[in-house]
Formats: sequence, C-alpha cells, structure tokens
Amino acid sequence: MAAPKFAFLLLNLISILPLLVSSFSVDRPTDRRILVLLDDLSLKSSHSLFFSSLKSRGFDLDFKLADDPAIAVKRYGQYMYDGLILLSPSTERFGGSLDVEGVLDFVDSGHDLIVAADANASDLIRNIAAECGVDFDEDPSAVVVDHSSYAVSETEGDHTLIAADDFIQSDVILGNKKIEAPVLFKGIGHSLNPANSMVLKALSASPSSYSTNPSSKLSSQPPSLYGTAISLVSVVQARNAARIMISGSLDMFSNRLFRAGVQKSGSLNKYEKSGNEQFITELSKWIFHERGHLKAVNLRHNKVGESEEPSMYRINDDLEFSVEIFEWSGSSWVPHVSKDVQVQFYMMSPYVLKTLSTNGKGLYHTSFKVPDVYGVFQFKVEYQKLGYTSLSLSKQIPVRPFKHNEYERFITTAFPYYGASFSMMAGFFIFSGVYLYNK
Amino acid sequence: MARDLGILVIVVLVLAATCQSAVVSPVSESHRSAALELFSPAHGSYGSLEETYEALKTFKVLGIEKKHAIRTSSCASVADTLKSTSSALKDFFDALRVNSILKCELNSEAVRGTQSRLKDSLNGASSLIDFYYSIGGLVLLKEQMSEVDVNLGDADRIFRSIKALGQSDGRWRLSSNNPESSNNAAGIALEALAGVISLATPQIDNSWITTLKNDILKLFDGIERYDDGTYYFDEKHVGARGHQSPLSSSASVVRGIAAVAAATSETLNLPGEKIMGLAKFFLGVGVPGSAQDLYHQIDALSYLENIRESTPLILSLPATVISVTKKDQLKVRVSTLLGSPAPTLSVRLMQIFVSGSKDASVIDQELKFDAVSGMHVLETLPKNIDVGSYIFSFEVIFHNPEHKKTYVSGGRTRVLVHITGVIKIDNAEIVILDGDRGSVENQKKLKLPGDNAVALSANHLQKLRLSFDMSTPFGNAFKPHQAFLKLRHESGVDHIFLVGNSGKKFEIILDFLGLVEKFFYLPGRYNIQLTVGDADMENSFLQPLGFVELDLPDAPEKATRPPPQAVDPYSRYGPKAEITHIFRAPEKRPAKELSLTFLGLVLVPFFGFLAGLVQLGANLKNFPKSTVPSTFAILFHLGIAAVLALYTLFWLKLDLFTTLKALGFLGMFLMFVGHKTLSHLASTSSKLKSV
Repeated sequence: MAAPKFAFLLLNLISILPLLVSSFSVDRPTDRRILVLLDDLSLKSSHSLFFSSLKSRGFDLDFKLADDPAIAVKRYGQYMYDGLILLSPSTERFGGSLDVEGVLDFVDSGHDLIVAADANASDLIRNIAAECGVDFDEDPSAVVVDHSSYAVSETEGDHTLIAADDFIQSDVILGNKKIEAPVLFKGIGHSLNPANSMVLKALSASPSSYSTNPSSKLSSQPPSLYGTAISLVSVVQARNAARIMISGSLDMFSNRLFRAGVQKSGSLNKYEKSGNEQFITELSKWIFHERGHLKAVNLRHNKVGESEEPSMYRINDDLEFSVEIFEWSGSSWVPHVSKDVQVQFYMMSPYVLKTLSTNGKGLYHTSFKVPDVYGVFQFKVEYQKLGYTSLSLSKQIPVRPFKHNEYERFITTAFPYYGASFSMMAGFFIFSGVYLYNK
Repeated sequence: MARDLGILVIVVLVLAATCQSAVVSPVSESHRSAALELFSPAHGSYGSLEETYEALKTFKVLGIEKKHAIRTSSCASVADTLKSTSSALKDFFDALRVNSILKCELNSEAVRGTQSRLKDSLNGASSLIDFYYSIGGLVLLKEQMSEVDVNLGDADRIFRSIKALGQSDGRWRLSSNNPESSNNAAGIALEALAGVISLATPQIDNSWITTLKNDILKLFDGIERYDDGTYYFDEKHVGARGHQSPLSSSASVVRGIAAVAAATSETLNLPGEKIMGLAKFFLGVGVPGSAQDLYHQIDALSYLENIRESTPLILSLPATVISVTKKDQLKVRVSTLLGSPAPTLSVRLMQIFVSGSKDASVIDQELKFDAVSGMHVLETLPKNIDVGSYIFSFEVIFHNPEHKKTYVSGGRTRVLVHITGVIKIDNAEIVILDGDRGSVENQKKLKLPGDNAVALSANHLQKLRLSFDMSTPFGNAFKPHQAFLKLRHESGVDHIFLVGNSGKKFEIILDFLGLVEKFFYLPGRYNIQLTVGDADMENSFLQPLGFVELDLPDAPEKATRPPPQAVDPYSRYGPKAEITHIFRAPEKRPAKELSLTFLGLVLVPFFGFLAGLVQLGANLKNFPKSTVPSTFAILFHLGIAAVLALYTLFWLKLDLFTTLKALGFLGMFLMFVGHKTLSHLASTSSKLKSV
C-alpha cells in the first residue's frame, strides 16, 4: 500500500521538478525566485517599499537571516533561486553552506546578485565585491563625504548623506524616464578595477567627494579614494549575462530615503521625493532581466535572387544576409530597433564588416559581395551594447575559387591569335591542294 | 523602597548620560501619511477584522478621522461575525475589538450569544491563546455593554491556570505541551491576567497581584539593550507561529504591562530608564514599511504615552545644523511620545563638548520657553562657540516636583550640533618660484571662491606655491576637513595633495624636482583644481584655478609607467568602423579596336597568299581523273578538313581526350587515304619523267 503511494508521490515530484527549475529559461529571461539575506529581519519592514516593488512585479522573495543555518541556494545540483539579494553588510559568514565561492558559483551559472554594503561592511561582503571587480575603501571607518553636493538637511550636518545625480547614460539600465531628483546615498565608496571591462559605474560621486572618516581629521596622507573615481553604485554584466549590482549604501534601499525629500546643496530645486525609488526600481528591473535581454534568431544568408541557403559560395558572389533580433520587455519579446548591428564576414580577421539595416520589426539585413579570397569563412554577429546582453552568433560557410570553365572565354584581346591560327589552318588546307595538284 | 529605586534610577540615568544617547523625534506627520498609505482599504473594506482593528486603532491614536468611510461595511461584518455560530474565538475577539472603536449598533441577542460562547470556551480553554481571546472578548463586552453579565466566578482557577504556563524568567509558554517560552507570549499572558483581575467578582487575592508584579520585573531583566540606551524585547526562538520581530514582541509586552497597570491600582515600580529605552526603540524604528509594524509601533507608543509613574518625555531638536550667517537659533522641543506638549518644565544647556575631544565647557544656561511655538529657544549662542561641530548636553528640569515622579526624561540628552558659517578666504595667490634662489618668477592673485584661469609654465627645477588664509566669521582660524589641491594631466592621470596650515595660513609648495617620479615624467599641461570643504563651512567649493604647463625631463628607461586609466564605458561599445573588401583589380587589356586592328593585320598574309596563288596562276589540273584515285584524293582532303574542324571543335568545346581519340581515328584514315593519293601522284609523276 505504502509503496504505490510513495511511487505516486515521486512521480508527482518528478513532474513538478522541471517546472521549478524551468522558470529561468532562455524564452523567459526574467528571474522569478529570489533569496533575500538580511542582517536583521526588521529590514523587511524598514525597506518594505523596495521589497513590495519587487513583489508587485511578480518576484517570489524568500527572506532569510544571513546566519540562518538553513540557507542553501542549491539542491541536487539545481539552483533553487534565480537571484540573490544580500542586504546583510555586517555578516561575517553566511549560515548553511553558502560562502564566497558559493555566491560566485551562483553568479557564474548565470544568476543575478544585488549586494548592499554600508559602513560596517564585513570582509565577506568586501570579498564578494572584490571578486566582481569592485574594491571598497579599505579603511573600515571611511564613508563617502561630499561638501559640495550633499543633501541639505536640518538634522544631518556631517555631509555624509549625498545627493548624487551622476547617473550612467543608458536607457536600458535606468529606464527611458529621466531620473529628475538626485539619489540619496549614505555609505561607503568603491573604486572599479580599470582592467575589468565588465563593471560600470551606475551612479558615480561628484568631483568634490572623498572617502574618509568624517569624525577624525585627515592625516598627512590624502584619501585613497576621491572625486569621480569613487563609484557609489556599480553594475556588472558578466559574459554569461549574469548581472550584479553593488551599492555602498544599504540605506539607499530604505523606505526612509525612498520617501525623503531632497534638495541638493547649492541648488534651489527642492524635490518632494528623492530619486531613490525610481533609481533602485529601474536598476533592479535591469538586474533581474526585465530589460536589456536580447535574442537573435533566424540567421539566414543566400545568393541574391535565390532563397535557398547554399552550402558554399564562390568568390565574387553577391549574397544577402539577415538576422532577427528581439528584446525582452519583461513580458514578451519585442523587436529590437537599433542602427548599430553589424555583421562580419570573417576568416582569421574580418574581410567585410557591414552595418545592417533594419525594417524596425526586428529584421536586420544587408547584402554584399563575397571577397575574392577563398577559404572557410564565418558570418559573425558580435553585438555588444551598453546594458544589453551581448549577442555572439557565427555560422560557417566555405568560399571556393572559380572553376576552370567559369573564367571568361573569347577575350577580344586574343582575337589576333585566333585569327592567326585559323588563317594558318585555312592557308594550309588551300596550300595542300594547290601544292599537290598544281600543273 | 520607592525612594531607593528612584535614586537608583537617577544613578543609572547619570551613567547612561555619559554614553552617547540616541536622539529620536516623536511621532510626526510622516507617520500619519504612512498610516494613510499603508492602511488603505481595498474596495471600501479591509481584508479581515483584525486588519480593520489595526487600521482603526492606528488612526485613532494618530488622530486621523477616517472612520466613516469603512464604518458601514465593518459594522456589518462585526454583526455577522457575532451572530454566526461557526465563527472562531479569534473572530469574536477581533469583532469586539473593532466594535470598541466603531461602537456599532448590536442586537442584544447576538451579544448574549457571544457572551455565553466566550464563557464556554473559557471553561474549556487550555492554551494561552484561548484564554487570551475569551478573556479579552469578555473584557471588551464589559466595556461596551454594561447590561451583560461578564463577571467571572472562578477567577482564581483561571488565574492559576494561566500563571501555570509562566516560566521563572518572566516569560510565558503558549500551551502546556509547548516547551518554548517567549516574550510575545508573556505580553499576551499579562493582558489575559489583567483581564481576569478586572473581571473577577470577588477580587483576586492581593498576593497574586504581587507575584504578577514580580513577573513583570523579571521580564524586564531579560530585556536587550543597544549601546545608545535603547531597550527592546527580542525573541530567541523561531516558533511554529513564525518569527516574531522585536517590534511585535516588545509591543506585546508593552500592551500586557499597560493592561496590568490599568487593571490594578497599585504602582508597578517599572524601571523608568527601560521604559524610556523602549520608547526610544519604538521611535527609533522610524516609519515602518508594513501595516502591521506600524500598528505595533503606534499602539505600543500610545500605551507608553499613558503609562503611569514613568511617562517618557522626548527631547528633540528640529534642526541640528545652525547657521551663524543666517542667525539661526537653537531650538529644543520637549514632547510626549505622540508629539503632544509636555507639562511645564525648563530645559537647561548644561555642557558643550567640542566634537572629537573630551574638553567640555560647563555652561548651565536655561533656554527660554517660547509659548507660541512650544519650543525652548537658546537665543544667543555662548561666547566661546565658533563655527564647528559641538555636542550640546541638555537636561530637563521639572517645575512641579510631582512631575518628577510621573515623567521620565532620559536624563541628560546629548546632541551633535553643527554650527555652520561662511568662511572668509583672503590673500589667495599662486606663485612659481625659482628653485635655487627661491625668487618669485610668476605671481598670480586668486579670487576664492570665484572664477580663476591662471596660465603658468614651469620646469622641473621650479616650485609652485599656493597659499590662502581662512578665517571664521568671528575671525578665528578655521581648518577645513577637506583642502585638496589636484593636478590633472591631459592623459587623465591625476595627483592629489593636502594643503596644510599653520594657524590661519594655508600653504602648499610643490617642488617639481621631487615630484617628477610621481608625475611619471609626463610633461604637458596640468589642470589645477582646488577643493576646500567642511561640514561646517557653508561656502565649500571645488574650483578649477587654471593650468600649469610643465616641462619635465625625459623618462629614464626604468621609470614606472602611469597606471592604466579606466576606459570610458560609452566608447567601449558602439559600432566599429565598416570594412569593405578591396577586390583584386582586373588585368589591364588593350582596347577592343586595337585587337581588331591586329586581327586584320594577322589576316593580311592569308589574303596575300591567296592573291599570290591567283597571281601565279595556281590550278588543280593535276587532280586525278580516274575514279579510284580521285575518290581517295577527295577523301584525303576531306580528312584534312575534318582534322582542322576537330581542332576548331577542340577550341570551342571538346576536351583533350575526346579530341585525341577522334584524331587517332582520323589520323589512321588520313594515313591510309594519304598514302593512296600520294603514291598515285608519285607514280603519275614518275611515269611522266620516264616518258
């Protein structure tokens, strides 16, 4: 009795399992299940606007204390979450089996990560950030101070609450609605590793900012981080399309700063509400792949005037190339419209590199002549655009030279030679008759 | 006893005052707007009666009049719940709670039914939650309908059975078969016990109340403390009911204590410092983001506000950034937790510490009370206060000695105050000095803050000196936290220097000889930028001063390379330059006419040959006359023509193998017929010779 019941259960489980793991798929790149690790469960309430914005967009949030021994992101080799939010700056080590390597493996397998640090950032959080190409100020007491672009406040006079408005210029990352009000930031700054080309400053500090301990005088050494080299919020898009956001401020996610009004020092504009909510919401849309995810389908090529794809081209053939590119809008794939998609006809190096023209409905096409060099070529579409996932497609195609009978016959220049031969032959025929039978 | 405790409290307060205490402000307008936002009913009603109660209670405490909008639907829901026999105990309790605020019209039958239902369940109750709901329901009934008999005959038994669930550390278990005890349950139990006390017809034995008071004090022993004097009740266990946040368990305890205090007329001797700490905890949460947390916060604050013998008073400063230039006044507000004005009292400024040092100046100055704004105002700043950051220490003095017993003010409150002002900058100049003699090569006056664009040039043997004076509005020296001189090379490499000072004078000398290594031997234009800023300086600035053209020696081979500069992300992406393949040029050919001309020329000898034949009178008279030889001759010449035609075909389309094969056959044929023809011709000619 028990055995069939168990088998039935197992069958059920097996049928559910693919459903559980398939929510993050190629067809629907938006994340679904997100693990949120907190230092303190009161963050759930003090940062509830951020969480409710995620929930209202359909994310399934799983809150856990960062030292909860039951933390596991992986079970039976499958990840149970699509995204990880670490709002636990002071955690020295995670509970359960999660550690720095675990977090990095999570990202390496294409999952997304949001890390927020603050002045109490632990080595664990610093290490995770450093692995993503972001180095927080090593001085544990340093915070970002800016005496020229702070948020005017009657109660906070130490200029550590910064009104930052130097955003990354990218509609896909921050949405196409301009963020009018400055973003309030209170926390630590970081610098980007110049050798890392994946990491970008999403919000950078003003030229007058510096990273220091505001309550003690500066020693004889100038601060190690200053000016626009300080990044307040950085984003990373890895080659596998995993996206990471690293912020030096936990407070910028909080309801208090979401709701706070802001007036930047030296400016008369007073905003009812800071730009935090818009900034964080739009950025999280990007991080969790609600935006900026591309797919390319139907890569096609053919000779001009034909529709079948040939197995091989001859040099100097005229060909047509087309590819369709779609963009994920959060709920469906819409045509991606851009003027900078390029195709390469490539053998060791590109022989032809051409910008594709688009019909505005996702179809990109062009035509060109095959170079007069034979060998094994590739059609390559390497599309990298700020904020979008990169597309890298290639299709191999051989190119052959002319066959011997494909060259030009009866060249005019050779007419004298032809004439000479034939007049010779005719002369010989006549001469043979005359010579033999002349009397 | 009470006096001893009072002294103890004062000692503790003095001790606490030496630590930095948290500055919190009372419930404000932002709580009201958050409440309206969080408790917004969907389609005119809330999801459950519990939610309705939480919303109504929060609105009531915050003084928001919003009852009417949901009154009808909520009252209907209350009446339905009370009438229904299938309602759970919790629903009765929630319905009565909602009714306690809305005061709906209920028919007496339903009320009686509820009363008997609650009493029945009280008799059969075993878990704390059951006791809590039934007793709570009865207490609410008693308050709302005086005609219903809710008195408990067996109060002692019930009291004992609830008490049996209590632990020795003051916490409670939810039921006898659940070993985990919690602060949350303690709050529930206290509320239930307070209910029993108020419902008991023969009054409850006084000894029970004494043990209850001890339990409360024990509960306070297990309170958690933050460094800034904030106290809260934490929950160790994550029970079956899910995790209780410190906010909800602290609120539960506060509700329990308030209920006990209301039910008994005795003083509870609550530790004032911890009550103050709890109040600071609830206020320190700020504006919670969830409806339930907001309810817990506001509800607990409303109980703390009305707690007897130790009502907390909050000293807050609406502004801690005081501008000297704008002649701002330091204002202090003392209010209760919910923001209502405190009784008559005075605020004294006791001490002023310079931020970051231990030196304190004792002031002891009383602030003037401004009745219109309800603020205590420090009209003039003390003499020795200049622009800078200070810690002001305030103390609340009650005018009425009775108030000392009923209010707690948290002793001395220390507040970080920033006194800001416009800093004067004079005598700013930038000078190029000659290295050896120190003579001035080039001197430029600067206007700070203001627009400057100096153009200097220097070589590595010279020095650059920047100097300026800074003084506060009172004429004292001022040292800003940030005084940076930045030199930025065209290539993006930048160098930062701290500008040092002695007294008012700030000076920096850059000796380029010692800096060539640091500058990576990069000659060229360096933009100069000066940043001066401080938290207390109202005119902090970041200004380009101009540039200096540096002539530096060539880099030796081993010189360090400048660090790589971050690539601009906007230029990193984007389309690449197009590449078009350059095709091999076709070979050069002569003009068509030229070829045709040469064709004509090539054909000329053939026609000349024909003309020569005609001229010589060539004929075919020797052609054999007889049938057989003439046939062979014709075949022979046809064969030759065929070979020539084959050659033409070879040129046009045939390949070599077909041609050779055909040529073989034709050759054999030609050999045969040629031999016949030629031998015939030879025999004819030899006949002629012999003749």
